Amino acid sequence: MAEKEIIERIDSEYKYGFTTDIETETIGRGLNEEVIRIISAKKEEPEWMLERRLKAFRHWQTMKLPEWAHLDIPEIDFQDIIYYAAPKQRKKLNSMDEVDPELKRTFDKLGIPLEEQMALAGVAVDAVMDSVSVKTTFRETLAEKGIIFCSISEAIKEYPELVKKYLGTVVPHTDNFYAALNAAVFSDGSFCYIPKGVRCPMELSTYFRINAEGTGQFERTLLVADEGSYVSYLEGCTAPRRDENQLHAAVVEIIVEKDAEVKYSTVQNWYPGDKEGKGGIYNFVTKRGLCRENARLSWTQVETGSAITWKYPSCVLLGDNSVGEFYSVAMTNNFQQADTGTKMIHIGRNTRSRIVSKGISAGKSQNAYRGLVRVAKGADNARNYSQCDSLLIGDKCGAHTFPEIDSHNPTAVLEHEATTSKISEEQLFYCNQRGLSTEDAVGLIVNGYAREVLAKLPMEFAVEAQKLLALSLEGSVG
Amino acid sequence: MLSVKNLHASVGDKEILRGINLEVKAGEVHAIMGPNGSGKSTLASVLAGNDKFAVTEGEVSFLGQNLLDMSIEDRARMGLFLGFQYPVEIPGVTMANFMKVAVNEQRKFRGEEPLTAGEFLRMMRDRSAVVELDSKLTGRAVNEGFSGGEKKKNEIFQMAMLDPKLAILDETDSGLDIDALRIVATGVTKLHTEHNATVVITHYQRLLDYIVPDYVHVLYKGQIIYSGDKTLALKLEKEGYDWLINQHKE
Amino acid sequence: MRLLDYIDNSQASCGSATSMADAKVWQPAEVVMNPEQLERAVAEGGELSILVVHSKSDSAKMNFNVGQHGSLRLVEVFLGDSFVECNINQQADSECDIVMIQVAGAIADYTINLDGGHADNRLRAAYVVGDEERCRVSLRVNHNVADCTSDSLVKGVAGGKAVGEFNGMVYVAQDAQRTDARQTNRNVEIGPDAKIITKPQLEIYADDVKCSHGATVGQMDGDAIMYMRQRGLSEQQARRMQLEGFVADVISVNGEIGEALKEELVAKLEKL
Repeated sequence: MAEKEIIERIDSEYKYGFTTDIETETIGRGLNEEVIRIISAKKEEPEWMLERRLKAFRHWQTMKLPEWAHLDIPEIDFQDIIYYAAPKQRKKLNSMDEVDPELKRTFDKLGIPLEEQMALAGVAVDAVMDSVSVKTTFRETLAEKGIIFCSISEAIKEYPELVKKYLGTVVPHTDNFYAALNAAVFSDGSFCYIPKGVRCPMELSTYFRINAEGTGQFERTLLVADEGSYVSYLEGCTAPRRDENQLHAAVVEIIVEKDAEVKYSTVQNWYPGDKEGKGGIYNFVTKRGLCRENARLSWTQVETGSAITWKYPSCVLLGDNSVGEFYSVAMTNNFQQADTGTKMIHIGRNTRSRIVSKGISAGKSQNAYRGLVRVAKGADNARNYSQCDSLLIGDKCGAHTFPEIDSHNPTAVLEHEATTSKISEEQLFYCNQRGLSTEDAVGLIVNGYAREVLAKLPMEFAVEAQKLLALSLEGSVG
Repeated sequence: MLSVKNLHASVGDKEILRGINLEVKAGEVHAIMGPNGSGKSTLASVLAGNDKFAVTEGEVSFLGQNLLDMSIEDRARMGLFLGFQYPVEIPGVTMANFMKVAVNEQRKFRGEEPLTAGEFLRMMRDRSAVVELDSKLTGRAVNEGFSGGEKKKNEIFQMAMLDPKLAILDETDSGLDIDALRIVATGVTKLHTEHNATVVITHYQRLLDYIVPDYVHVLYKGQIIYSGDKTLALKLEKEGYDWLINQHKE
Repeated sequence: MRLLDYIDNSQASCGSATSMADAKVWQPAEVVMNPEQLERAVAEGGELSILVVHSKSDSAKMNFNVGQHGSLRLVEVFLGDSFVECNINQQADSECDIVMIQVAGAIADYTINLDGGHADNRLRAAYVVGDEERCRVSLRVNHNVADCTSDSLVKGVAGGKAVGEFNGMVYVAQDAQRTDARQTNRNVEIGPDAKIITKPQLEIYADDVKCSHGATVGQMDGDAIMYMRQRGLSEQQARRMQLEGFVADVISVNGEIGEALKEELVAKLEKL
């Protein structure tokens, strides 16, 4: 199979590219203190929250866009974005029957198991559509265990003490440009609290979806796993297909208290733009978790979407014996650009971290891994192992690796390895000879290449991720 | 020379040696045989002082001193040599430099003057003849890029350099072809005198064709369950360990 | 013999070029001390072997152009806190072999351009820093055309309050197919206040390439220490010997000069 042919068929259609025709309520374009007051008022927030937002906004105005990433970012006019859009349906919902049927159809098309089958799947979903949480499920089951799983807006109203205690402690509004913007204008997101010693009985899941035209999605997630607790959290993202670019600047904060464990899995499938690179989501995300003594935080991500991805889920290993993990598959096709990776900050003693990053570049895309492993002075016996592999499909794409190791402690043992490979014609020929189509062969090879990461995902998610990889690659190989 | 009494040792929670008793006198050759996982290599490591293993019970005296109290290097300087089953590669450290320090440390321990460069080189040349070691190898880094056979020859070369009182050879025959086996075994035999002793740990009788043992011990589940003379090895070669193990169970 | 003694002794014999092919005893055809500016061109099919020593606290710019089928062997030694930028451009079928050591808080900034097919570059470097020294090795290898090979190994030891930094980049241009590039950085920190920073980077725009890089901090083989102690070395001796071996390993030149370079590294290690 000629390589040329392999490349020519890069022609994947975005399966999730439909829009939902329901009325949305928006405010005008642009951002100023007045807009922030409106957002806060519409969400019926307490005064302290508004103050926090304004403080973040004022700080944001002093900040500059980060330019260090290996990304070619077109100029973004932050005054040409609508900062708030909510489905115009404000009354509280008591059952699934009350959900707008059109909206339900959207979720059905997305394949979210929102109804009965969810019980079987054991998934509780907090679906976020254009900024307002429409429906949360299984809340009662969770409530029995004392688990709080709701939208962040509700949490601000109902659990102000928890929110005040934790919000902004891992990602302060001063952290970076997009985190500041998010702190000022975040519309909704999820809040999750697992009490001491509780093992969450099901996978918690949120599904983010950007719907309205010209809106930015700024969701905010706060996840607190109290001492000795455990939770596995899934986040899926899709967005409809539009010609213009949409901005997504989310913040995820995780606090993993002593002896607790959190698994956070993401399958990101925002609209990547078309074959010519038109449209698509700009995805600037700050995700970070703080681990106390003996805590464990594991990030797993499968990134196939967005025109631009800027994202570094990180672990601050503050407590002794804490463990951070990062498993990532990032795939780019056509004109997509990704600059993604992680930071492992070792502060406590005997802290361990592991990084496995698998980049796949096809078409004319650029895919970069960027990572930092830092061992602070007192972090005796820190251990890190990083493995960063790149797979190139075609000769018009780029695969880059930008790791940094920063060690201030002689007892640290840190190891980084990276390799680059391509799908060889011999491999394809071999598969073809055994009767596989080239497309199947590529799917097989790519999934094999990413297997180590996919294996870290919960079962239902892993299957979806595998399909997504195949779908995003569709036609990228002849 | 070596007296091991009721030696117990474990790694983590797992007890591997469960009461070993062994007496080795000057001039003797002992062979330790036994099925896989019986604790043969652990015994060698514990006697050499590898701190991966914890001694939980028992006594070991070597040349009248309490061996278990000594550091790895002091045991070595007193004349205990361990031929490693898997000799370690040490990048960038040349054999010559390594051996020079090792020999002179031993001399210092005995209160002798260090060798001059000339004396040392002569010694290297003489001793490398014992195992027909290619002189080029002594100019290379320790074990780095050596073939399996070269590594084993190199162990015996080092043994010749250090002239130990007690040599424990841990599966020195594994991975050797017939010629290399002959060279290694002949080397060991040449070095054997009435003043030193050799303990060979092996799976196969074939090594014992060259290095004829005075005693053969069978180690099973961390204990010596049977001892005999050289004919035992031949019997084991023919009949395996089952009869002994069954007898032991009864 | 220390390096400067070697240079004093060998001034007389200098100029009688020894061929690179004569691997047994390497002698540079040219010895340059503390250049501010250095330009050398290796003619088509020609050879140059050169020893450059920076013993002062100054800065230098060096340019080497290696013509087709030409070969360059550069041995560069930093005894002082110099800042040196070194550009090497290699034409088709050329080869370049660099050995570099830093025993001071110096900065060496290499840019290697592989501009012609089948050019081959090999670099072996080591730094040892102590006290409050800060040293940096920057190495950018540009594979600008197809079919070139590069292999770089940089080792570092930092003691005292020193900072050792490696900044590596392998760049593979879009048409540079069949590139084979390797870059490795290994470091050891001694003492609680030393610091290592390493950034081994890859920027790849061609798909048919073999590129790998690796970086480690603080990984010495514990089994090797155990092995050496079994032969009678004290733990401290074993560690020292292992460390000497670790850095001396990069010195691929033989003869007196190789010994002199090792001496420099060992002498510096003793001061840590």
